[in-house]
Amino acid sequence: MNISDIQARCESVPFFRFLRVEFIAATDTTTTAQMPFEERFIGNPVLNTYHGGIIASFMEAVASVSVMDDANSELVKPINLTVDYLRPGIAGTLSTRATISRKGRRMASVETVAWLEDEDKPVAKALFHFLLV
Amino acid sequence: MTPDEKRLAQIAHLWNSRAKGLITHMGLQIEQANRKGVKIRMPHNPDFCVDNAGTMLHGGILTALIDSAFGLAFFLAIDDVKTMATLDLRVDYLRPAKSRADVIVFAECYRDTRHIAFGSGKIWFDTDDCEEVARGNTAFAITRGSGPGLLDKLKTAGPGN
Repeated sequence: MNISDIQARCESVPFFRFLRVEFIAATDTTTTAQMPFEERFIGNPVLNTYHGGIIASFMEAVASVSVMDDANSELVKPINLTVDYLRPGIAGTLSTRATISRKGRRMASVETVAWLEDEDKPVAKALFHFLLV
Repeated sequence: MTPDEKRLAQIAHLWNSRAKGLITHMGLQIEQANRKGVKIRMPHNPDFCVDNAGTMLHGGILTALIDSAFGLAFFLAIDDVKTMATLDLRVDYLRPAKSRADVIVFAECYRDTRHIAFGSGKIWFDTDDCEEVARGNTAFAITRGSGPGLLDKLKTAGPGN
């Protein structure tokens, strides 16, 4: 899928605009994206860290796009997710990469990892299942 | 009011008044907050939808909502909590979140140990049939101790100070 097509498609989704997801690269199996830090993403008012739900939402948004057949497809239906929070989500640009583990006719399983500056120090990892029909 | 009821009311009040960021943006309203669990209302918000008509919520915001509710539930249920962080979170999306109604979340702490607290929750639309849209389970890492706890930190940090 072409990155500018993906970006244009996602600009039409209000929640993706709220998250300000910026797509960086996409292949058949992996999709990478970034999200700038915003005050409205804060979860912990004492530490000013990302809300865990925002990190999960960002990963879910990118994971769902990674399994779309093309940029104009309908959004796929999320079935469930498991997210593993590994480090504090301190203020800064968050990156994520979604990797398709398996995409069948009815279901897809996608793994994601999110990091701040150092990819080797992930903030969170997650597993998403989507219904494709 | 018993001292315990006073503490619960104080936490709920601080959680609201010291909130910033996403919690504020979600416009959360606490409807019930005690040791047995919390019930919180999130008004419908088109920003959180996947369609421009604003009829279908994105799953991610439900995950954010239930994560927030767990935080408050553990805060209320565990007296000497000093810090807490979400260790993991599992959410099942039971049906498409298609409605313009407000969303209600219930979250409870069903077990807490020295280092870990376990929670369970559900989300439904505030409609006649209370259609359930998601269920979640979580484990939080907590630290306990005497001295200034989370409550004291919230009193002295965040907006309003």
